[in-house]
Amino acid sequence: MGLNARVAALPGHEITVEEQQPFRVDDLLPSRVVRPADAQDAARGLRLCDLAPTAVVIWGGGTQMRLGAAPRRYEVALSTERMSRLLEYEPADLTCRVEAGMRLRDLQEALLAQGQRLPLEPPHPDRATVGGMLAANANGLGRARYGTVRDWVIGIAVAYPSGKLARAGGKVVKNVAGYDLMKLHIGALGTLGVIAEVNFKVQTRPQVEATLIAHLDTPAAAVDTGTALARQYLAPAAAVVLDQSALKDCGMTADWRWTLALKFEGYAREVEAARDKATSLIRAAGGRVEGDDVPSRFWHAARDWSAPDGDLVVVRAIVPLTAIHAIFGVLPEDSQVMAQPAAGLVDVRVPAAFAASILRRLRTAGGDQGQVIVAAAPAAVKKELDVWGPPPPGFPIMRALKQALDPNGILNPGRFVGGI
Amino acid sequence: MDAATRERLLGRLRAVVGDRYAFADPYEVRLYQYDASPETALPDVVVIPGTAAEVAQVVKICADAEVPITARSAASSLAGGTVPVQRGVVITFARMDRILEIDADNLRAVVEPGVVNLSLSQALRPHGYYYVPDPSSQGACTIGGNVGTNAGGPHTLLYGVTVNHVTGLELALASGELVQVGGRKAGSASGYDLTGLFVGSEGTMGIATKIWVKIQPLPPVQKTLMAVYPDVETASNAVSAIVRSGILPAAIEMMDKLSIQAIEAASHAGYPLDAGAVLLLEVDGIPELVEELGERMAKVCRESGASEVRVAKDEAERQALWKGRKGAFSAMGRLSPDFYVMDGVVPRTKLPETLAKIDAISARTGYKICNVFHAGDGNLHPLVLFDAFKPGQYEAVLRIGDEILKLCADAGGSVTGEHGIGLEKRENIRYIFSDDDLEVMDRIRHVFDPHGLMNPGKVFPGEVVEGSAPSRAPDHAPRRAANVAGGDEIWV
Repeated sequence: MGLNARVAALPGHEITVEEQQPFRVDDLLPSRVVRPADAQDAARGLRLCDLAPTAVVIWGGGTQMRLGAAPRRYEVALSTERMSRLLEYEPADLTCRVEAGMRLRDLQEALLAQGQRLPLEPPHPDRATVGGMLAANANGLGRARYGTVRDWVIGIAVAYPSGKLARAGGKVVKNVAGYDLMKLHIGALGTLGVIAEVNFKVQTRPQVEATLIAHLDTPAAAVDTGTALARQYLAPAAAVVLDQSALKDCGMTADWRWTLALKFEGYAREVEAARDKATSLIRAAGGRVEGDDVPSRFWHAARDWSAPDGDLVVVRAIVPLTAIHAIFGVLPEDSQVMAQPAAGLVDVRVPAAFAASILRRLRTAGGDQGQVIVAAAPAAVKKELDVWGPPPPGFPIMRALKQALDPNGILNPGRFVGGI
Repeated sequence: MDAATRERLLGRLRAVVGDRYAFADPYEVRLYQYDASPETALPDVVVIPGTAAEVAQVVKICADAEVPITARSAASSLAGGTVPVQRGVVITFARMDRILEIDADNLRAVVEPGVVNLSLSQALRPHGYYYVPDPSSQGACTIGGNVGTNAGGPHTLLYGVTVNHVTGLELALASGELVQVGGRKAGSASGYDLTGLFVGSEGTMGIATKIWVKIQPLPPVQKTLMAVYPDVETASNAVSAIVRSGILPAAIEMMDKLSIQAIEAASHAGYPLDAGAVLLLEVDGIPELVEELGERMAKVCRESGASEVRVAKDEAERQALWKGRKGAFSAMGRLSPDFYVMDGVVPRTKLPETLAKIDAISARTGYKICNVFHAGDGNLHPLVLFDAFKPGQYEAVLRIGDEILKLCADAGGSVTGEHGIGLEKRENIRYIFSDDDLEVMDRIRHVFDPHGLMNPGKVFPGEVVEGSAPSRAPDHAPRRAANVAGGDEIWV
């Protein structure tokens, strides 16, 4: 087949300059866009792209598109926007099956109507899709208490460049049949296949919710209190350490430098006891409880903080809990920080000019048991940065997995770790 | 494998682990031919390495000689996962049973694969922590084996199964390399989640030589209730009612009439003999909450048809109730010389109709079927009772098992919830996965094991079994004796 014939055989349609703009990834624009109607359609489209072969970037809500390196090539934008249905939901089983293009907010609303929820809160749920949440392994502030995406996905259907639609897992909450390919695709940034459908387990919404804001003099005191809470039985649903500027971004002004914000969820008695316990720990650490009068948008803004719109650079460190101090130790005095001490996670917004040097320092401080990545950055800055850091141990296997499932390298080429 | 080849291999393996820890004597290797399933196959050589480096060298030697490798620990697996069907070398972890580190500050423990599940929780207890997944065989099964099958247990209802509690692995790969994936931190920020992919791969991707697990603060109080029902259908509906009520129990277990009779004969757990079904429910938390939840749960149980709700008054009573449940499989020896266990899963709401269908199969075939299972998860363990020495019975029971798994699959469920596919369920996996699904999984297996040497003949359907064909009934005699004596040999 000649080039023209192959292009003619590509799925979707050629797009105009205006149509291109929303699908920009870093400095690149696609020439075509395809919007599959369902999982099978996605698999057929992918097969055509693989035959060409032509590079495909997968689009959900676009909230995590600044994660990862710039694509090496980019011709076709595959958007899951038409795949947005809730396919099955049986509240009594606490499970559901959805198409990957469904927006998180729409899913949560359907669950809320039955008094249930998915305890995952990635940034921008009004735009973020289920598939994007999986591919980017986008988690929220509840990760220490409720786990991450991998703990709630029980089944998956993935379209592969071979044109096959293949499933793994299933619809039941306990299942060890076959390989757990859910884990493989979560966080793979769409480099192994197009996530087309996802099965979740869900939970009953907690009876009560409460917030506690505390003032602490040093980041060390705030972090220590946060980790101490995680090590005892009544762990909060979220524990976040914010500097003054991050607090302001979340709609609160304060004349103190460090804030520990705690969210409690659960049965009423449990929440009450947890709040009492936290209050005494904060006081023992020399902190001051500032009451629970927080603006309603506080937790939403905190959730979205790590995925800002615009050209901000966000660096993320994930380390063992005891290594968080070392991370704080190398941050410049006036850093804009939001940390989740119980999860060993620190997000920092850094000025573009210092991004490279801060990244280097954090990687040294994180040691060989930690990982430091660039969670968001504009294209120009990314060029100067090693966004993923050195490939992790086991990288030869990762490369071989990519080769096995996407032999022509058409899926998000170059965006993932080690040039995958 | 001919004698000369075996001797050469043995010599090379002994050079790594020492003469004492590699052997091929037919009498000595017999012990390693079985797990807790009915299948058996003799290995050529058994190796007991003492370190991860030794495991890697053993794997390298086997890979170079193109000899199949099967990892085996406590061999309490119920689906033939550790039976060396293509013979070769069995690697066992009796010497790699050290808890390497309890790192409470980071909420982790680091263990070798041969650490017994329960002994980890016992070691953590003085620190105020425990390791959550608690298979009923936890007194014998190992963390390495738990990683292989992604083991569950009663308390995984609220807290998740093995994969939800493992953050890192050191792996001996088919190439003979040792590689660490994941580790002490929570989750992976860059690269594919090889830890998550590996857990539950039943030894087909390599061998875990070191495991990083999450540890969790012990709940201050646990309250266990026993609710008595006239029949399994009422009890099944009660499970849904409890879930709907907004209470999140840590465990919901069910036992039917036959099981209760067997358990009472074996362990005197205190289950009423005239009950049609018993639910065992547990909530944990702070004392004032647990008190409230216990009362609420008891109320829901009564409203959903329980004739009696008994709350364990103290730890001794609680332990007695759990001992009955966890010893249920061993207790079956009281009812029948042999049993065949299934591990099907159905959506919770399909429990009543599935149990009714299983009952109909029992009535039609004349074989008694007991049900002891994780009701909260919809994870069924039907036990088909039979006598392997009576001609035709074993074959008939296999057909019944097949039928039960088919109906679980048709109800939207799975053919295994926690025991694994292993050897036994290789064909049943087709009830839930298409050829395309399996083809993708097979490609992934080839990445890890290009020459098909890591626990070959497992998980995937249609494998050609070379070497000794699995033998069956003749080897039942010793185990049957143990069952009849009420021995704690088999659990679920």
